[in-house]
Amino acid sequence: MNFATIGQNIVKLTAKYWDKFLLTGMGYTLSLAAITVAVGAILGALIAFMRMSKIAPLRWIASIYTEIIRSGILAVDIGQTEAARSLGMSHRLTMTQIILPQAIKNILPALGNEFIMIIKDTSLASTFFIGDLMTQVLVVKGATYLTIEPLIMVAVIYFALTFVLTKLLGVFERRLRRGDVR
Amino acid sequence: MATSDNKLIQVKDLKKYYNGESIKALDGVSVDINKGDVMVVIGPSGSGKSTFLRSLNLLEEPTSGTIIFEGTDITQKKGPDGKKLNIDLHRQKMGMVFQHFNLFPHKTILQNMTLAPVKVKGMSQEDADKKALELLGRVGLADRANAYPIQLSGGQKQRVAIVRALAMEPDVMLFDEPTSALDPEMVGEVLDVMKKLAQEGMTMVVVTHEMGFAREVGSRILFMADGKLLEEGSPDAIFNHPQNPRLQDFLSKVL
Ligand SMILES: Nc1ncnc2c1ncn2[C@@H]1O[C@H](COP(=O)(O)OP(=O)(O)O)[C@@H](O)[C@H]1O
Ligand SMILES: [Mg+2]
Repeated sequence: MNFATIGQNIVKLTAKYWDKFLLTGMGYTLSLAAITVAVGAILGALIAFMRMSKIAPLRWIASIYTEIIRSGILAVDIGQTEAARSLGMSHRLTMTQIILPQAIKNILPALGNEFIMIIKDTSLASTFFIGDLMTQVLVVKGATYLTIEPLIMVAVIYFALTFVLTKLLGVFERRLRRGDVR
Repeated sequence: MATSDNKLIQVKDLKKYYNGESIKALDGVSVDINKGDVMVVIGPSGSGKSTFLRSLNLLEEPTSGTIIFEGTDITQKKGPDGKKLNIDLHRQKMGMVFQHFNLFPHKTILQNMTLAPVKVKGMSQEDADKKALELLGRVGLADRANAYPIQLSGGQKQRVAIVRALAMEPDVMLFDEPTSALDPEMVGEVLDVMKKLAQEGMTMVVVTHEMGFAREVGSRILFMADGKLLEEGSPDAIFNHPQNPRLQDFLSKVL
């Protein structure tokens, strides 16, 4: 193969497949790039706006989740990174193969705890009549003029929910940790 | 004897400072490590032994000085070809064994040993498995290939850590107190593996408090204190005819 034939082939291919390259191929490449940048920018902006928000709960949510993920990664022993890098693994390989799989085990239970906390905190949402458990208390109260009974009922439900979920999370966490200590 | 192509690592005036200049972990260390050397580094705690060892594969970035490994100054940002120096390539040729093993807990012993050969060197999984099993056999752990690190004793973990590094076929092995975290009854099995490795001609740099090992297996002993290399010599010279008062004092405490 020499340069002349390569040149001729390129001319031929251009005539026959120009639409494949110029329309389909370039189209996909550009849209993929655009989607990637857009998703990245939207996620980034979302977190950035949440962290700067005037609405305290939004700031709080953003900082909690970034903190959970950040500390989940930082909690992985530095020796793991050193061992991986000393074997010649790149920063990227070390992250994807060694650090993140271990960080997940810190992050998931923390997210689970967060979920349980949020279940309790959503009771505050009833102020806006959103339809959660606490709102149902107000509904029942409005219809029956009974105050204490519906409160006891949802208290039991809240307790059962968080109790069962906490137990499940404990089991899940122990399963995650199996085979984990160095 | 020490012709220039015999030199594997040349360390020149290596310095590592922390907190500006207030902590001089390494204060101008120069030494040549030759092929086949079993260089044992001794010295009191805090004398800079780990910092020295970890600088060799740039786990610590030196403040100044040069480290020439197989002809390349790896402290430079750019390689001899003018392109960005890829430290990962050089690290592949330098195995490292840590005090706390640092096995990957979420991977089996076999996966611990084959991950880097496959992902970094591009070896096929079959070849990597075969090689790993052969290495495990050499340290008497072939039957533990599919176990997870947590299922092993400390001595077994450290033997795995050694063969994990060997699986990359390094030109030099760096050991940072490989037996210090072990129960006393397990120290021997790890030192035996290291001794065998030395007899096979592997170039080794070993930081250890095991003076018996230093005396018996070491070909050269370095004594460090306060970030400086205070004395260097054969085991006989260092242990039987120490010159520096700091070394004499150190030996009187550890022997
Ligand atoms: N990351 C660090 N930050 C500050 N000082 C450090 C750091 N690492 C090591 N040092 C200091 O450098 C000196 C040498 O440490 P090290 O190389 O670990 O000694 P050795 O291994 O001989 O016990 C010690 O005084 C230690 O406290
Ligand atoms: Mg040390």
